This record gives sequence, structure tokens and C-alpha cells, in this order.
Amino acid sequence: MLSRIERSSALQWLGKQLFNREDPTAFFDPLLERINPMWVQQYTPARVERVIDETADTKTFVLKPAKRWSGFEAGQHVNICIDIDGVRRNRTFSLSSAPAQWNDQSTVTLTIKRLPGGLVTNWMHDHLQAGDTLGLGEAFGDFLVPEASEPLLYIAGGSGITPVLSQLETLAASDYRAPVTLLYFVRTQADIIGAEKLYSLRQNWPAFTLNVVATNESEQPRFLRESDLEEVPGIKARRCYLCGPKGLMDLAGDLLDRQGIAEDRRHSTFFAAARAALDTDSLGGAVHFSRSDLNVSSEGDAVLLDIAEAAKLSPRYGCRMGICHQCSCKKTSGTVVNRLTGKSSGPGEENIQLCISVPQGPVTVEL
Amino acid sequence: MKQMTEAQLNELEQDLNAIRDEVLADLGERDANYIRRVVRLHRALEVGGRVMMPFGFIPPVFVAATAALGLSKIIENMEIGHNVMHGQYDWMNDPSLHSQTYEWDTACDSDSWRLTHNYEHHTYTNIIGKDRDYGYALLRLSDDEKWRPAHSLQFVNYILLSVFFQWGVALHEMEFERVRRGEVSLKEKLPFFKGFLRKGGRQAFKDYVFFPLITFPVAPIVLAGNVGANLIRNLWSSTVIFCGHFTQDAETFTEEECEGESKGHWYLRQLSGSSNFSGNRFVHLLSGHLSYQMEHHVFPDLPAHRYPEISEKVQAVCKKHGIHYNTGSFAKQYGTVLKRIFSYSLPDRVRQRIAPQMA
Repeated sequence: MLSRIERSSALQWLGKQLFNREDPTAFFDPLLERINPMWVQQYTPARVERVIDETADTKTFVLKPAKRWSGFEAGQHVNICIDIDGVRRNRTFSLSSAPAQWNDQSTVTLTIKRLPGGLVTNWMHDHLQAGDTLGLGEAFGDFLVPEASEPLLYIAGGSGITPVLSQLETLAASDYRAPVTLLYFVRTQADIIGAEKLYSLRQNWPAFTLNVVATNESEQPRFLRESDLEEVPGIKARRCYLCGPKGLMDLAGDLLDRQGIAEDRRHSTFFAAARAALDTDSLGGAVHFSRSDLNVSSEGDAVLLDIAEAAKLSPRYGCRMGICHQCSCKKTSGTVVNRLTGKSSGPGEENIQLCISVPQGPVTVEL
Repeated sequence: MKQMTEAQLNELEQDLNAIRDEVLADLGERDANYIRRVVRLHRALEVGGRVMMPFGFIPPVFVAATAALGLSKIIENMEIGHNVMHGQYDWMNDPSLHSQTYEWDTACDSDSWRLTHNYEHHTYTNIIGKDRDYGYALLRLSDDEKWRPAHSLQFVNYILLSVFFQWGVALHEMEFERVRRGEVSLKEKLPFFKGFLRKGGRQAFKDYVFFPLITFPVAPIVLAGNVGANLIRNLWSSTVIFCGHFTQDAETFTEEECEGESKGHWYLRQLSGSSNFSGNRFVHLLSGHLSYQMEHHVFPDLPAHRYPEISEKVQAVCKKHGIHYNTGSFAKQYGTVLKRIFSYSLPDRVRQRIAPQMA
């Protein structure tokens, strides 16, 4: 009911006057949350219905978002937010279920692999249980199934299979007749994510060819090779979808070049690989100020406030020594080091103080 | 202010940094739960107060509703708004508790507050001429300002300031005294004034127009209750804030002695220019933990509910460096504030005769 207030501009205006906030309906959240966490208005809550073990290090979380969530298309991803030790963490994951499941049962699934050292994925594996809630953003991304029927090739690696699962299920349900091949690279046969779904698709969907390749079961690692592509019938006429770790994506890109498959017939989507820990000497990096659409590079221990000012921006600032928070600003991606504590931030979206934050690699700041 | 060598100041800086680092390393769920609990208490009090107010024709209900709304405003302004805007909870990454976007339930526009309070007052604390919070350009509270006959009535000004405190704070950035002296033009102040009208208007609309109107048959009761709630908040916040920097032993500083100062010197100045008062947990909550003004001024962006925990460590550091830890009961501290306001309203010669300890 409250979300309907959001849509009436007069009530929205009144709400802002009465509650001093841009999202007036969220004013009551602290009380509503106690009665039913699904009534929270600040974000779209989603309740964990079930947790399913996929492999030793991968789980599928079946979520029931609040009714006002707008749904998604197969292959899209969402941002989720979870409070861990009092800190709200935002991360992006692909939806692994098909939109039909959202329409029929009002549920969606996230299939998430533990990242070594990853704060959020490990926390979700260890703590998130049926009955808990998390925040769900609206779906986004242009990794979408083709509009017209044509031969397809999917190349996926590891947990890069998740948006592909959503797409395959959608295609199968639409009785897609053109040939669809999936080359799925996993470390060992035990690491196949969505195995049950994939095997059942192979059985019930004649257009579908499944080729699972275990990379680490022989003495020599078995990566994607030219012959894998050549064995795909009519490879040159296929539209290609890629999702996997960077090594696989680069390799596939080269091999598809050799097959002469044009760029506009290739689709790839992000893959949330944990960035290797940077050594603390490697400060500086490319800084993107997103609101001003400005790119600059920085070296050494220059703080973002100085970098912004050198780029002729005039962010608000105060004490310039980390006290007054006048210069606090949203970082949308990248890692920064706090000059006072020497600590590195997380890679995701969070608020930082410009006057004491030094970029460590590429950083995007909302300025 | 205690004279300290550079080496001593460095040591002071390190001692205080150690306390700060320890808290920072420990921030987490406990702090998040605390502030969320306080926010929930605020919502319950505000909703309760507003719902009860139309039934205020029953006298005890009127008292309860006004008290609930007054308390809700005090808690929102002191423990939530003031502290959130200091960035004490920015690490939580919760957009509704973020220093740069939080807007509080008082006439003062948050952007103006962040400038005049977080930056000017907290950076230049008690430096006469730079910290406009010192006496609010209205009261003479030290020898740094020459006595003028107008000062003899400053006790009346003080009472007026307390009664209309939210409007005084809201207009602080207007710098009437500088406009009068011709140092800034009215035109330069126009953007600020528009912001003041928008936010002040919004607050007045809410408490004095909207809620009375929608409860039309009992509008006068609701209006009276809302005025009462604002008055309670004004008097209390003004009192707490005056106890923070204008007690007998809270010192003032000159621009010269603070020029190019080190972090250690800044710490020393914050300790010497602030004062605490004691009380129970409820008093600390209602004062937004500004009853630990000294801790707040050295660590303005640590969650305030941590101040009682670190107070002993700060006292130990003060003792080690021979810095006066200025605290006392609320009555005692407030008494010295009133005495200060009164005695500096007198010409120097009269004051020295009747209140020599203030000389």
C-alpha cells in the first residue's frame, strides 16, 4: 500500500515535507520491519524461501521478492544488498531462474559460488537461511536471448553458467527450434552447476546439445580449443553468448575471431571474479568521475579530493583532514586506501571521504 | 591552554589516535543495532505523539502527546540527526543514515548545518573570530570581546535564543553581524536565505499548519501541543549545547596561537575548549551524548554511544598530559554557564568586583 503513495506526486511531495526525506514511505521502516520485514520500503525486500546445494562450493538461493518488484528478462542481473556486521554490502549477481518462474510462482533464484576471500558470497553461504530477507534492486543488463530464432552457441565457465541457465530454460519453454549448443567448462565433473536442469534440458529439448568439459581432470589442463568450435555444426552462422572467467573469455574471443564471427553477433556479460589482492605499493590508477563524465589518471598517494580539484572539479570539502565528512561521496566501483588507517576499501558501492581516500587501481566516483 | 612542546603534542596525538583506532577496528553490528534501536524509538515516539495529540482535550493525554513529540524531536535532533550528519554511521553504508543526505526534523537546513557546525565549529572550536558558535554572535562570553552597553541585556537575549533556538540555529549562516558590518552583502546571502525559507517553511508548515488543519475541530489543541514540543526541544538542546563550551573552565583561543597548528595541538584545543556533564543513560541519550562534549570534540565521527566507554581512556590521557578534564554534574556545569552569561554582561570593572573568578 505504501508503495502506491510513491506513485502519487502530490502525496510524494507532502511526504517529503512531513518526513524530511526523498523516500518518505521509508520513514516507517524501522517500525514496519519489526512487524514484517517484507513491508520495508527503502529497498525491495526478498525473502529466502529455500537454499539448495548445487556443488560443494555453490548454492542456489530461492527468493520471493515483494510484489512491487518489476521482474526481469532471461540473462539479466540484479544488485542485492545485505547487512553484514552492521555494514550494508551491495553486490551484483545474475538471476539463474527463468522469468516464467517469477510469473508463475513469484520466485527467482540466485546461484552463487563462494569466492575465495569474498566477504559477501561466503557470508551468504554460511549465514543466509530460509526466512531471512535481503534487498533486491531492479534487474538490468543487455545479455538477452535473440529476438528471432537462429542457431546459438553458448560458452560458459564455472559460475558463469548462471545467466545461461535462465536463458536456456526460457528458450526451451518457448519451443526454440534452431540448434543451441552449450560448451560448459568446469574444473571437475563435480563442479557442474545446475547439473539436474542441464541434463533434463538435454533430454527433453531436441534442439539442445550439451558439451561439458572438465578442465582439471587430466594431467594437462584442458582449456577451450579450436576443435571444440569446429565440432559445433554450422559454427559460422551461430550467435554466440559468453560468460565465464577472464581467461576463458579472452581465449573464446580469439577463437571466435578466427571463425570470423562478427562482434555484433557476440554477447558477453560480466563475471564477478575476485580481483587479486593488490600490493599496497601499487597506489594510483584511472579515476572516473561519473557525474562529470571525466576520466583522469593518478599516481602515488594523491587523494581523490586533490585529484578531483586538479581535474577542475569543485567537490564540497571542509577540513581536508578526515574530520568533518563534508567531502563524503559515493564510490560506485574500485578500491581506495584510507590514508589515515592504510586500510583498503571493498570493491563495491560505498561512501568514502574524498580527502583521505587514495585510489588503488581504477575507481569510479559519483562526482 | 596548557603549554606543550611539539614532542608532547605528538605524544598526545598518538595517545588519542590509539583510542580512536581501537574503536574504529571494533565498529560493527553493535553500533548498527544501537542506532537502529534509537531510530525505532524515535519513530514510535513521533507516531505516538502525533496520534495522541488530537485527543489532547483530555489533559493527561495532552501532556503525554506533547512530551512524546518533544522527546521524539530531541532524540531525532541530538542522537540521530547531529550524530549521523557528523558521519558517525557512514561506514554502515545505509543511505538513510548517511551524513551528506540526512535531513533532520528542525528548521535548520542540513547543508547549512554541515557547513557551520561540522566544518566551522568543529575545525575552529572556540577560536574567537573564527568559531561563530562561540556566543552565537549574540552573547559576550569572554574578555576577547570588548564590553558594550548592549551586552548588559544579554541575559534576555540568551533566554530568547533558547526559546527560539531552532530558528537561531537555522539563521546562523545568515551572519547578521557581518552583514551589518558590511563584510558580506545581503546578495551573497541570498542562496542561503532561500534554503532557509524552504527548510524553515517546511518545518513550520508541518507543525503549525498541516497537522492542526487535518485535525480541524481540535486544531488549537494540536497547534498548542506542537508548539510545546518544539519549545521543549529548543530549551533542552540550547542548554546542552551551552554546557558544551561555555562552562567556567572551557577556554577560548586566538587565531594567532592556532595558525598552522598540528593535529596534536588541535586535539589539545578541543579538550581545553569543551566540557562534559554527568548523568544517567537517559540523560546521555537525550543529549545525543554531547554530555561527553570533550570526547565528541576529539572524535566527532565516532558513534556517540561509544563516548561513555572511551571516557575513562580519554581521562587517563588527560591526566597523563596534565590537561584539565572538565566535568561535573549537570546542575554545576549549567550553573557556571549562567554565571558566565551574567557576569560578562557586566562592565569589566563591575564584574571583577563581584565575580573575581571570572576575571
